[in-house]
Amino acid sequence: MFKDLKYKLNEFWSEFRKVKSGVVGLVFLIIFILMIIFEPLISPFPEAGKRWRDITYWEDNSKSAPPVWTNLFTSKKYARSETLTAPIENVTDNGRVKITEYEFDYDYKADRPPGDIIFRTEATGNLLFITEIIRPDGETVSITRNNYNFSKPSNVRIALSNDSKNGAYELATKFDKENTLSIPKQSIDGFNILFSKVQENMASTHDPLKGTYKIKIRILNPGSTGVLENPRVIVSGSVSGILGTDNSKRDIWSGIVAGVKWAMLIGLLTSALSVAIGVIYGVISAYLGGFADSLLQRIYEIFVSMPVLPVLIVLGAVFKPSIWIMIIIMCVFFWTGPVKTVRSIGLQIKEETYIEASKAIGASNTRIIFKHMIPLLIPYSFASMALSVPSAIVYEATISMLGLGDPSITSWGQILQDANSAGAVIQGLWWWVVPPGLMISLVGMTFAFIGFAMDKILLPKLKTR
Amino acid sequence: MYWKYALKRILIAIIVFIVIIFIFSLLFNKVAETTLKGQIDEIVKAEVLSMSKNNRNIDIGEYRKSRLEFYYKKYHMNDSYVEKVFWRTYDTVTFNFGRATNMKSSRGSDKVVDIIAEALPRTLILFTVAIIIEIILGIWIGLKKAQKAGGAMDKSTSVATMIVFGMPSWWLGMIMIMFFAYVLKLFPSGGMHSVPTPEGFAYFLDYVYHLILPVFTLVLLGFWGNAFLTRNIVLGTLQEDFIMSARARGIPEKNILFGHTLRTSAPPIITMALLSLLGSIGGNLVFEGIFSWRGMGNLYWSAVQSNDIPVLIGNLAVTTGIYMIGLVILDLIYGFLDPRIKVGG
Amino acid sequence: MNMEKVLEVKNLKMYYFTSKGVVKAVDDISFELKKGETLGLVGESGCGKTTTGFSLLKMPSPPGKIVGGEILINGEDIMPLSENEMRKSVRWQKIAMVFQGAMNCLTPVYTIERQMMETLQLHKPMSKEEARETMKKYLGYVGLSEDILKRYPHELSGGMKQRVTIAMALFLEPEVIICDEPTTALDVVVQAQIINLLKDLKEKLKLSFIFITHDLATEAEVSDRIAVMYAGKIVEVGTNQQIYGEQGPAHPYTQKLLGATPKLHENVKELAFIPGTPPDLLEPPTGCRFHPRCPVAMEKCKKEEPILNEIEPNHFAACWRCLNEQ
Repeated sequence: MFKDLKYKLNEFWSEFRKVKSGVVGLVFLIIFILMIIFEPLISPFPEAGKRWRDITYWEDNSKSAPPVWTNLFTSKKYARSETLTAPIENVTDNGRVKITEYEFDYDYKADRPPGDIIFRTEATGNLLFITEIIRPDGETVSITRNNYNFSKPSNVRIALSNDSKNGAYELATKFDKENTLSIPKQSIDGFNILFSKVQENMASTHDPLKGTYKIKIRILNPGSTGVLENPRVIVSGSVSGILGTDNSKRDIWSGIVAGVKWAMLIGLLTSALSVAIGVIYGVISAYLGGFADSLLQRIYEIFVSMPVLPVLIVLGAVFKPSIWIMIIIMCVFFWTGPVKTVRSIGLQIKEETYIEASKAIGASNTRIIFKHMIPLLIPYSFASMALSVPSAIVYEATISMLGLGDPSITSWGQILQDANSAGAVIQGLWWWVVPPGLMISLVGMTFAFIGFAMDKILLPKLKTR
Repeated sequence: MYWKYALKRILIAIIVFIVIIFIFSLLFNKVAETTLKGQIDEIVKAEVLSMSKNNRNIDIGEYRKSRLEFYYKKYHMNDSYVEKVFWRTYDTVTFNFGRATNMKSSRGSDKVVDIIAEALPRTLILFTVAIIIEIILGIWIGLKKAQKAGGAMDKSTSVATMIVFGMPSWWLGMIMIMFFAYVLKLFPSGGMHSVPTPEGFAYFLDYVYHLILPVFTLVLLGFWGNAFLTRNIVLGTLQEDFIMSARARGIPEKNILFGHTLRTSAPPIITMALLSLLGSIGGNLVFEGIFSWRGMGNLYWSAVQSNDIPVLIGNLAVTTGIYMIGLVILDLIYGFLDPRIKVGG
Repeated sequence: MNMEKVLEVKNLKMYYFTSKGVVKAVDDISFELKKGETLGLVGESGCGKTTTGFSLLKMPSPPGKIVGGEILINGEDIMPLSENEMRKSVRWQKIAMVFQGAMNCLTPVYTIERQMMETLQLHKPMSKEEARETMKKYLGYVGLSEDILKRYPHELSGGMKQRVTIAMALFLEPEVIICDEPTTALDVVVQAQIINLLKDLKEKLKLSFIFITHDLATEAEVSDRIAVMYAGKIVEVGTNQQIYGEQGPAHPYTQKLLGATPKLHENVKELAFIPGTPPDLLEPPTGCRFHPRCPVAMEKCKKEEPILNEIEPNHFAACWRCLNEQ
């Protein structure tokens, strides 16, 4: 029995190997599976799947930043993300106030400033943080003053971008008072001025000032009881990651990687369940014949007369199902797929003499159906399964697109829904719109390649309706 | 003979439609009832308010109760569950979908029927245009493929078919808008008219101009499948004995392909094409939303967003109806084109 | 019998070029057909009978190709003719064919009239009225009324369809008519009717037939001469009397083939069969292709391929034994 199966598999493989598109599909499938297995390794944000909607997990990224590699195609380079550690530390303690001074060197080589610069540390005590940036040309711009009082070790996060407006405006006023004052302070971009050369009209035209910027954080601690640990500066680049970020600062590559397993799960589970149901249904219908057959065919007709996706949408809107319920609901409509073909194959098998023989020696109906008829349909079932995977994935994506997705998972459809509702199309944020849809299409293509290849081998003459 | 077949097919479809609506009524009875109760409460509140202004002597509580009673009775809300489901089925089948909770048609009507009636022709225009182009293009390319089966053109188009197999039409729509409307600025990003809307013939041109990009997107995605199916069917027919026989009779290849083969393959090709298009109805609902084409698909989207249950359920009933009409038309075309169709089959 | 040859086939070769290799389906066969004669072509299924039929029309089914030989009709070689010329002046006009699956040989979506009209007008310039007259005449020959002209193929019975295809094969009065198992798909009564019809027509219209079948009994009834094919080759040719007569056929394969046919009026103890299977034409056996199954094979049969030899007047066999016995 096992040997027989092995032989059959070998035979199948030697045929399958010849269909080039099928092999390409298989390679893609293997890549997707590897992506699922090595998700923690290839994702820069390994918890992306679980904390996709947790904004604190993403807060150190830039908003709507294009992918890093876009720098290769532009003449004006964007600043990349980096983390600065090991600052020059300077501590003075006069007994009443302890003053800790950290100085980070940031080497700015790009043409466009970073999205944000964030100082982070774990701290305890009553602390006043004063941050300033010393530019390569010697100008010092003070940015923030924050006061914290922690009784136990807490995370401190000071983001400079938003608070840099005052300092930048002052700097611009200092060198070009007339033009600067004609622009309202709210409308300027602090970092754009901070990282540009001093010149006329500097509040509106920016010429990058490259060189080493010193980010200086002075921490005043009255009573000298405070503790500071692990000080670091995170520069969140204006380009970020393999696929950029969305407008909630989420890393899109991580989201895409986290979505692979859900797409596979939804696709494979739905198609496996529904094909199994459909094949059994079709065989039973063919085998029983007569009244039972016509009854089963009427029921089948009712199901195929329903427009599946609209029904799913309304069910989704009314019942707000979880992904598991959604998969079951999809199965309720998807099982009709193989019925027609299976029934016609079943009718042929039924006429075979060995089925007659089995009946004659008194085999039960269940035995004949499951032992003699279903196994013959297994090859067809696999082909049919492969071909129904893409529709399940597209359906889930479409339902998510309407905002009816299960919020506890990260699916490509949901990323696209976010992109659509944030107006990513209008803003040209292609790195947010293209990858998720491309992944859906690629998975669809993968299974289409495999399914059509199997179809070609297994059923050279059989055509579905 | 044919009429008998057609009549039978239509009758079966009507019965199936009623059964499906019955199933929907079962599923959505509770949520529809909750919505209806809310709407009745609103109406009664308004009535009580106006009554108490005009007539101070009336017992407000008693009046309220009687009005509620009146509406509950009118909408069969005191009946048993089974009766309620039957009434709901009856109402839906007779296109009596009730009132929307917060959506309105462009003329200001809050009747679900009016809202849907307004959206329906827009959807029909968009998809009919796309379907016609898809079928023509699909058959044409499919024939070319079948003629040189296994050739470079056949293989490459087959691969293309598989590449777009799982591509959501609405995603392609997003990409097309991004590229053609925002990068190249060739077409409008959506909607059905410019603002302000031009009059007369210019109105028509403007409409067509807005139609081009969505239709192009649908066709770009849809015709591959048709070409692939046409190819397979035509190839199958080309291997039939009667084609061989026609060749032996010295009939020119052109007549064999466009006459004998295409005429024989027409019923399954048209069935396949229409069936695949009917099947794509679902994905195309979201597609409309992407292009701000205010048809039935967009209606689903807006109804989901404003949680307007009566509109959703009404829209579903109408979509199902259209879907079934599509299936019936398909069978009727098949029966008409194929002289072999068995009466009563 | 000294009659003119309508068809002469010389060294015809038709090979299938498959991905696994070259299949020599018709390998160097020669035969001739005289006017008014019926030549039977018999053999097991897969021996190349039907392929030979199609090759005569120069219509090998892909991936097959005719790689050599001559086909002379009334002394004129049709081999050099282009596809276009074949279509215009040879197919159906000179050689017509009644196909194996005659049930499916009519385009299902056209009426009988339309299909007949198309074929007639394509080959002969004639008005619709003239064409209709011709159709009626030939439908009359095959015993059908003209009512069926308006019908679709599915509205006719199998026997009627077969009659229509025969009428169609006749109405251009071709030199040669190939009948490829014209009765296999029909039930027994209709089979007999069709066979009788063909015999009648042959007498009446002086037709020349090539009659392909695996059914030796039918062959015995209709054919004047018999050619036996095995694995792409003709192994024996002889008159009806020579093959079916008292003396019996010469080639061991033909003997076996006849032995395997149950006879009605004999007391059958055991149904004879030919041991082994027909050879794989991808790698045919060396020497005589029948030798692995031949009960009287000699050492020579394994090495050298026998050619057709005249063992008695008009009787040819490709067998070393027959040659030795002479």
